[in-house]
Amino acid sequence: MPAPSHIRNFSIIAHIDHGKSTLADQFLLQTNTITKRDYRAQLLDGMDLERERGITIQMHPVTIYHTKDGEKYELNLIDTPGHVDFGYEVSRSLAACEGAILLVDAFQGVQAQTVANAYLAIENDLTIVPVLNKIDMPTARPEAVTAEMETAVGVNAEDVLRASAKSGVGVLEILDAIIDRVPCPPGDPKAPLKALIYNSHFDTFKGVVIYIRVMEGSVKIGQKIKLMRGNTDHVVMEIGQFRPTMVPCQELTTGQVGFLTAQVKNIQDVHIGDTVTDAVNPTETALPGYKVPQAMVYSGLYPVDNEEFEDLREALTKLRLNDSSFSFVPEVSDGLGFGFRCGFLGMLHREIIGQRLERDCELDLVHTAPNVTFQILTRSGETIMVHSPQDVVDGGQIEEFREPIVRINFLLPSKNIGDIMSMAAERRGEYIKTEYLSPERAIITYELPLAEVIYDLYDKLKSVTHGYGTMEYELKEYRPADLVRLDVLVHQKRVDALSVIVHRSTAERRGRKLIQKLRKEIDRHLFDIALQAAIGSRIIARETITGMKKDVTAKCYGGDITRKRKLWAKQAEGKKRMKQVGQVEISQEAFMSVLESDD
Amino acid sequence: MANTPSPSTDQLTPDRSAPWLEPRGLYVHVPFCAHHCGYCDFAVTVGQDHLIETYLEALALEIDRTEVTTPVDTIFIGGGTPTLLSPDQLGRLAGMIRRHFPTRPNLEFSIESTPESITADKVAVLADHGLNRFSLGVQSFQGHTLRVLERQHSGDQVTPAVEIIRRRVPNFSMDFIFGAPGQTITDWEHDLKRAIALGSSHISTYGLTYEKGTPLWKQRESGDVIALGETDELALYTMSHELLGSAGFEHYEISNFAKPDHRCQHNEKYWANEAYHGVGVGAVRYVGGRREHNKRNTKDYIRVVFSGESPTFQQEELSPFERARETLAVQLRRSDGVSRQAFLHQTGHSLKSIVQHRLAPMIEAGLVTDENECVSLTFAGKCVADGLVSKVVWG
Ligand SMILES: Nc1nc2c(ncn2[C@@H]2O[C@H](COP(=O)(O)OP(=O)(O)OP(=O)(O)O)[C@@H](O)[C@H]2O)c(=O)[nH]1
Ligand code: SF4
Ligand SMILES: [Mg+2]
Repeated sequence: MPAPSHIRNFSIIAHIDHGKSTLADQFLLQTNTITKRDYRAQLLDGMDLERERGITIQMHPVTIYHTKDGEKYELNLIDTPGHVDFGYEVSRSLAACEGAILLVDAFQGVQAQTVANAYLAIENDLTIVPVLNKIDMPTARPEAVTAEMETAVGVNAEDVLRASAKSGVGVLEILDAIIDRVPCPPGDPKAPLKALIYNSHFDTFKGVVIYIRVMEGSVKIGQKIKLMRGNTDHVVMEIGQFRPTMVPCQELTTGQVGFLTAQVKNIQDVHIGDTVTDAVNPTETALPGYKVPQAMVYSGLYPVDNEEFEDLREALTKLRLNDSSFSFVPEVSDGLGFGFRCGFLGMLHREIIGQRLERDCELDLVHTAPNVTFQILTRSGETIMVHSPQDVVDGGQIEEFREPIVRINFLLPSKNIGDIMSMAAERRGEYIKTEYLSPERAIITYELPLAEVIYDLYDKLKSVTHGYGTMEYELKEYRPADLVRLDVLVHQKRVDALSVIVHRSTAERRGRKLIQKLRKEIDRHLFDIALQAAIGSRIIARETITGMKKDVTAKCYGGDITRKRKLWAKQAEGKKRMKQVGQVEISQEAFMSVLESDD
Repeated sequence: MANTPSPSTDQLTPDRSAPWLEPRGLYVHVPFCAHHCGYCDFAVTVGQDHLIETYLEALALEIDRTEVTTPVDTIFIGGGTPTLLSPDQLGRLAGMIRRHFPTRPNLEFSIESTPESITADKVAVLADHGLNRFSLGVQSFQGHTLRVLERQHSGDQVTPAVEIIRRRVPNFSMDFIFGAPGQTITDWEHDLKRAIALGSSHISTYGLTYEKGTPLWKQRESGDVIALGETDELALYTMSHELLGSAGFEHYEISNFAKPDHRCQHNEKYWANEAYHGVGVGAVRYVGGRREHNKRNTKDYIRVVFSGESPTFQQEELSPFERARETLAVQLRRSDGVSRQAFLHQTGHSLKSIVQHRLAPMIEAGLVTDENECVSLTFAGKCVADGLVSKVVWG
């Protein structure tokens, strides 16, 4: 059992793709936590989706040992995702640590998430160990990037280490620096148990696996513990550490990071950010926990097969154990039946959750158009939060329609400033300021409606800056705007799942685009189908899908009946996967087409 | 229908002598053709006329082995081109059929033929055996359409053939194909008018289908022929409906028109999903709720029958509910439609239990009518029968 003086806990934070997971690989290899034989690139990215996309989606904790000056240290590190949508994973990781490696790509330099995550660490009072990565690259610009780091996040140039996670150069020096610079974990090993639940996942045999960081006291097998939020008691069955697989041990003491299981079958008992304490001798005050991040994007998730509604609920509940940053509440749609309105931290987050549900839980889902949360002040003085276009009240009752505004930082090559300015102007942006990190790189700050940001801004930014621009934003406030709900009517029936809230100035263009796309996606039926876009009762665009006029096989005699029957049945089977809206069958693709970018 | 019985209480004790279980019709297949038409995917045998004698022997064996429990009232010899056989062969064929299958007094006995294969001798020998209906594969009177279809006869051969037939067998039908590449609405009008003028009591009009693998299908795939568009096809189909309707023909099945009392009773059995015997290569029979398909290759068929085995190579027996669905699907092709009462009696399932709520929108769209306890397709409904049947029956 290491003493707190011989424990260090740190996260690796950076902008996306700056090499966090690759550096973690090197730590594992060079400390002999894994053998060369077991090694594979980005080893900690274990989820199928992570390997496929080459990005980290979840935090990954791992325990390694490193000897410095003849002393053996236990180092608990957490690899974190770099993408802006997974910022909550980063903040949860940071709360379990005293230090953070701030990794910066020596060619790309400081990027939006470098700044955002660095400030997150500073707010958490963490010691930052700045590291320039990828110095093996011929295009590396170590001096310039070091200067950027000084300007953007206020580190001292002489503290910046240089490494290559690819070749392994400078890696052990980083571990030495961690031991020297990062404080050892505070806390009294003799005090009653107080441990932070920073993550969890569900295991069919063991129940909920609870990831903990022990703040005070210690926890052993057989100990009776209490989960403070729900006030439920459990007996510890198993304790262990991630090395990187789950390796059992007898005890975890102050400062250590690991996991425990206690046959917790009821998922609702476990809350991320909750405190684990001793049931007999509990600690007095719980840890402050986490501020649950605000969902930026909402959309509906519906099982294609309505029978799967309960399966979807179960899958969402389990997934939430592992990712507490998304939320879901049941909702009903005329067209889609029973489903859930889910809140996400961003579009990638939304996409990933959808894919995890479809893959891991084998569910077929319809995703409705994403929207942000609007606010309506009614004539009667009530403020309603609108998570779904369905919640928009009758026009006559609206005193003020408000939308969320974000403060957004674009970090980009100076030569693209003009492009960004026109992009922001088209999206009703309000210019705040420009700062230069160097003559070549600048941070421009804008205030923009969140709805415009999630729609397609990230893709646009990437394309105008050829990939060199990044952005990062946070919610600022709600502001009144001239907003309307744009409805889509299919065969005279409003398809609630296709409604969107838009700015009046863009309504007509959006409406026309929307039904034009829909027209291509809906198969011809036996009758004409009218597609209309409407604001209230005013039709602003219409299209018709003409009905099939001739679809009949000439012959059906004795010998043909079997074959014909099979064809008819098969054709009907194919349609069953679609959603029935009144008389019209609409495919998943049709719903998705509404979301695609405008041009 | 306020009170719809649930499927389980719908079940009636099957009456083994019901026409949908005990066959009252016979289909005999003769596969030989002089030439393979470009669009045809039937079980046909071309350039193998030396097999005809052996085939007739095999057929005799299969017929002899067929169990008959009740007399038949329809016999249909189809092909192929049955009238490719010599008068003598036709006589033997008709003879073996008549000897084995007892018949009812109002027997309908038909044969398929082509204009170029008709002779007075053939007609005579068939008529002598009680044959009383000819079905003549005309397809078109237009040279260019016949060429696209790769037919072997010309339009001018039709009238002489009709003259020969009529001398002994006054009741005849003509088959036409519409929608062939290059066919115009005037061509079609002309074809139909000539058929009416020649005194046909029954006209079948088949929309051309490009069956996968046929030469015509390949030509379409390679762009050598261009298929007619949906609007043109619809115009031709509408023309048949209107023109034949005003000439006193009843549009009694999707592709079939008849003067009063001249429907093809044999084919009506198929559209009622009733039972029938079937013998010969590629033939299908439907006996006691089981459907059996014979081997489709003539030599295989002959070999198997001679060795004393059954020529069946595929069979199916559906659950009562699937059978009811199938029955509904085929019965919807008839202009008489589906009588709720008769349907329940035949299938043991109420129509409602199958279509659930899927009928109302079709009625609203003008594709289906539901009057006097009887459901049927309107003309617009007939035009889209495939999609409609699939939707209404299978949901
Ligand atoms: N040349 C070079 N490439 C590196 C180095 N470190 C990482 N890379 C490459 O950079 C890419 C991204 O590496 P990752 O380790 O997945 O980056 P990450 O920061 O974990 O990315 P996210 O988890 O998605 O935020 C991979 O292609 C790595 O092979 C390095 O030191 N030198
Ligand atoms: S004559 Fe009839 S059966 Fe023979 S090939 Fe032509 S279409 Fe087919
Ligand atoms: Mg990573």
